[in-house]
Amino acid sequence: MGTASGIIKALNSGVKHIATKRFTFRYPEQKLKFVGDGYQYDPNSGVGIAGYKGRHILFHDKCTGCQLCAIACEDIAEAIAMPKVEEEWKHNKKAIMPQIDYGKCVFCGLCVDACPFYALYMTNDYELSSFTKEALIYTPAQLQVKPKVDQDVEIQIDEKGANHG
Amino acid sequence: MSSQVYPKDKEILPGLQIEKVDDRIMTLNVGPQHPGSGHMRIIIKVDGDYIVHTDPDPGYVHRGEEKMAEYRNYITNIPHLERPVIHDSCNILYPYCLGVEELLGLEVPERAKYLRVIAAELNRCVYIEYWLAIYGIFLGHSTMFMWPVGDRELLIDLLDKMTGARVTHAYFVPGGVRNDVPPNFEDVCLRQVNYFEKRLKEYADVFYDNPILISRTKDTGILSREDAIKLGTTGSVLRASGVDFDIRKKEPYDVYEEMDFQTNVLKEGDSYARSKIPWLDMFESCRIIRDALKKMPKSGSVRVKLKPKPKGGDTEVYRRVESGRGSLGMHIVSRGMPQPYRLKISVPSFRNLIAMPHLLTGEKLGNMPAVYWSLNYWPVEADR
Repeated sequence: MGTASGIIKALNSGVKHIATKRFTFRYPEQKLKFVGDGYQYDPNSGVGIAGYKGRHILFHDKCTGCQLCAIACEDIAEAIAMPKVEEEWKHNKKAIMPQIDYGKCVFCGLCVDACPFYALYMTNDYELSSFTKEALIYTPAQLQVKPKVDQDVEIQIDEKGANHG
Repeated sequence: MSSQVYPKDKEILPGLQIEKVDDRIMTLNVGPQHPGSGHMRIIIKVDGDYIVHTDPDPGYVHRGEEKMAEYRNYITNIPHLERPVIHDSCNILYPYCLGVEELLGLEVPERAKYLRVIAAELNRCVYIEYWLAIYGIFLGHSTMFMWPVGDRELLIDLLDKMTGARVTHAYFVPGGVRNDVPPNFEDVCLRQVNYFEKRLKEYADVFYDNPILISRTKDTGILSREDAIKLGTTGSVLRASGVDFDIRKKEPYDVYEEMDFQTNVLKEGDSYARSKIPWLDMFESCRIIRDALKKMPKSGSVRVKLKPKPKGGDTEVYRRVESGRGSLGMHIVSRGMPQPYRLKISVPSFRNLIAMPHLLTGEKLGNMPAVYWSLNYWPVEADR
């Protein structure tokens, strides 16, 4: 193949894409949709349930303060501490619950795998930036809140190409 | 290199070596801050425009992964072991999981084996696309930076649905995989992989058949078949020099022997061949993914239950897999403790780096990026 025809062919393959819809999407206005409500784990079968590994959600009515999540995290990120909470639960005599430092967390989800009481799951929330390091430490009360996620964009493929709708 | 130790009675730091300066030769430090070098320094000596001596200096991102592994048990080792190559994290965990399964005597469920193959092949494509994007921008071809980074998103999306994370998946565990795929994943995967393969074909026109790329990379940094074997290179570098060597074919692990694919071998051994082999490998990966989706059992367990801190016997294992860069092996020594006694990672990047001084000497300085990045080298992985 000649040099000129090769260059024209290369240019042509790029020019074709001027008319097609772009693949990218406008991030803060549009957000990518994930499968399910986040990564979960079933201790009975020992298998996880597919989902995005974002920030955690803690169910206070199920947490027994057994510290297994903190022990699992000990060798990985040391992100989980177990502070006292001002709550009284029959199943949580010590009244301690996990507090997660997202400045340290690596979002591997092994703490979720360690929880035998269905108390700690992960959610689709990934927007955790803050102006201070202290604000990244989520207390048990903050972890209890179910995040509001407005994620609607998905990859769509048609004969012209792929785009995010 | 001529060097001499300065006499001690002169007022100079003890042990300081002084090198004789040649007026013709200039020493250039490429990196470690230079974007074209990765996290490493390449000390190059040039005579005019020609490189006369190359000394790669890795080690700027050494994190002691091997030592860290001695203080963590077999499960908590997973998140940090995938850090050396976050774009290829499934493939770096693969030999570790195979080795630990052998140590603990675990039998992996059939469905998990197929899921592992799919995840590993998707990850290989994600890695190669990233590598290709950097190769494009190294050669000043900014379209070839944008396209692979965009198309990589299709596969990252699939891995995201499968594993729950975009890059560091932590998906493989000894005894299977962490979770099953979501419902209708097979259809989505098939559609996106088919489209991805269609996009790959477009790279030929814009990049691989482009006369500008060919004139940049053809006949630069030629590595002969004998040298490739002698220097101990692996992966795409070895296959571009005419050696048909792929761990997936030679020592099949999990279900690779049932998969329908071939290895790509080119005879030229130049930068062009080395840059083309990974691209051809991605077509084979697409074939493997389609084949695995077809042959995968429709339901079943994906993980065997483990005790909290499993202990291995008094043995040692060595397992290796074909990663995006080549043969990646892990040697695990167990002494009956919950932690490995010793974990040695044999990385393909470091083995390919050994060929670099051999290839660059005698080249023009302008060809340095084309030769360097065609070695399929990932600095962070080489440093561990």
